[in-house]
Amino acid sequence: MARKVSGLAQYRALLAKDVRQELRTREMLVSMGVYALLVLTVYGAALAQVGDRLQVVSFAGGLLWALIVFTSLLGLNRSFAHETESGCLEGILLAPIDRAVIFLAKATSNLLFLLMVEIVVVPLFFLFFLSGAQLAETTPLIVLPLLIGTVGVAGVGTLLSTMTIDTRGKDVLLAILFIPVVFPLLYACVSATSVAFMGVEGTLGTFWTSCTVAGCYDIIMVAAAWGLYEFVVSA
Amino acid sequence: MAPGEKGSAATASGFPTAADPAVEVAGLVKQFGDRRALDGASFSLPAGAFLSIFGPNGAGKTTLLRILATLSRPTRGGVRLLGIDALEEPERLRSRIGLISHKSMLYGDLTAAENLAFFSSLYGGSPDRERINELLRIVELDHRRNDAVRTFSRGMQQRLSIARALVNDPDLVLLDEPYSGLDPHAVELFDELIGRVRSGRTFIMVSHDLDKGFAMCTHALVLARGQVVVMAEKDRIDRAAFRDLYLATVGMGVA
Repeated sequence: MARKVSGLAQYRALLAKDVRQELRTREMLVSMGVYALLVLTVYGAALAQVGDRLQVVSFAGGLLWALIVFTSLLGLNRSFAHETESGCLEGILLAPIDRAVIFLAKATSNLLFLLMVEIVVVPLFFLFFLSGAQLAETTPLIVLPLLIGTVGVAGVGTLLSTMTIDTRGKDVLLAILFIPVVFPLLYACVSATSVAFMGVEGTLGTFWTSCTVAGCYDIIMVAAAWGLYEFVVSA
Repeated sequence: MAPGEKGSAATASGFPTAADPAVEVAGLVKQFGDRRALDGASFSLPAGAFLSIFGPNGAGKTTLLRILATLSRPTRGGVRLLGIDALEEPERLRSRIGLISHKSMLYGDLTAAENLAFFSSLYGGSPDRERINELLRIVELDHRRNDAVRTFSRGMQQRLSIARALVNDPDLVLLDEPYSGLDPHAVELFDELIGRVRSGRTFIMVSHDLDKGFAMCTHALVLARGQVVVMAEKDRIDRAAFRDLYLATVGMGVA
């Protein structure tokens, strides 16, 4: 039997499976959501003595991205748990499927779950820390670095979490590999987010430059991950 | 053929010969760092045969099966399955291979039907309800089609994994220690199911259980230190001598 196999149909099947499984178990969403709330609580305690809300605005971009990166790490560590539990990844690899399709589907599902958590967490961040602050008119622009940054985090994170699937101490190893690799993206996104929060006149150019750097990082890293995935998943 | 005799002779092309071969393995070497898991294994198997592979822990059985399943590439050597070069065209081959392992390869949070529909869609079939129902009937799990797999017993999961391995109607079915963790009743059911789907397919099973492996097979192979010690048709094997040889290879330990 040799039926024509559509990569798009396989991608949809993998993505639908991930989404169905996550909606049924809510493992990634709940663990990331609870962790993010705990980090917000810690931020609350740490910033309780800051009287002037404007000071928080000046480093809110960094706080927000620290929250996103550490929350993502938790989710990415869980993203292959179901695939390895009963050897399901081998079941997928047995099929006539381009390994890049597996990467794309897993990166997409990770992206969806990260965005779902961000949709809840970012408004809470505003509510807890920025509700009394004078935010610049450019604040809504943070959506752009958030989106670009999350794409990069999901893409790079999917590749690295595949590499660490069968390693001892994979939770720590993923963090050790992930943070240095996403550092350029993180730097660009923090810069763009901070500029958008503060809205200082004449700095919008920095915002667009940072977003461009982050976008280029996404393209290069996701393309590299796409190309390397066959090697990584077969190793 | 008596134990101790070598398997099929290699031809000039490097591949051993068998009439209408479904599996041809030539000089297979797999190196993991300093350790050589396979060390020049060669054999061939005719279509429709059932090969049981025996050998001690670390003999290279699972490594061999993973290469045959196209999940791993050899360091050296050739593999031709169903007339297709497994190293050149693994994707073309994958649609014709099924693997049943001691791991179920099933998603615990999905139902039996959802698992089969998912794996079926990876093989290019839009999940065909009738086909899935038929597979569930074959493995006698149609009454549990909408139950999450994690609620199944080990034996039921293994039966469902037979259905999963058959979603693509494979010509070659690989079994890697399929009896691990099964109780005697589940083993009996498993054998019965394999018997039901034997027709028209070639099977290769890795097993530690000499009696069970012998009962199922048409051909037997002993692997030790990554090499084929003996391979022969079951009818030509002196059972007692074969057992002695197998026990001797177990004593040889790993490579």
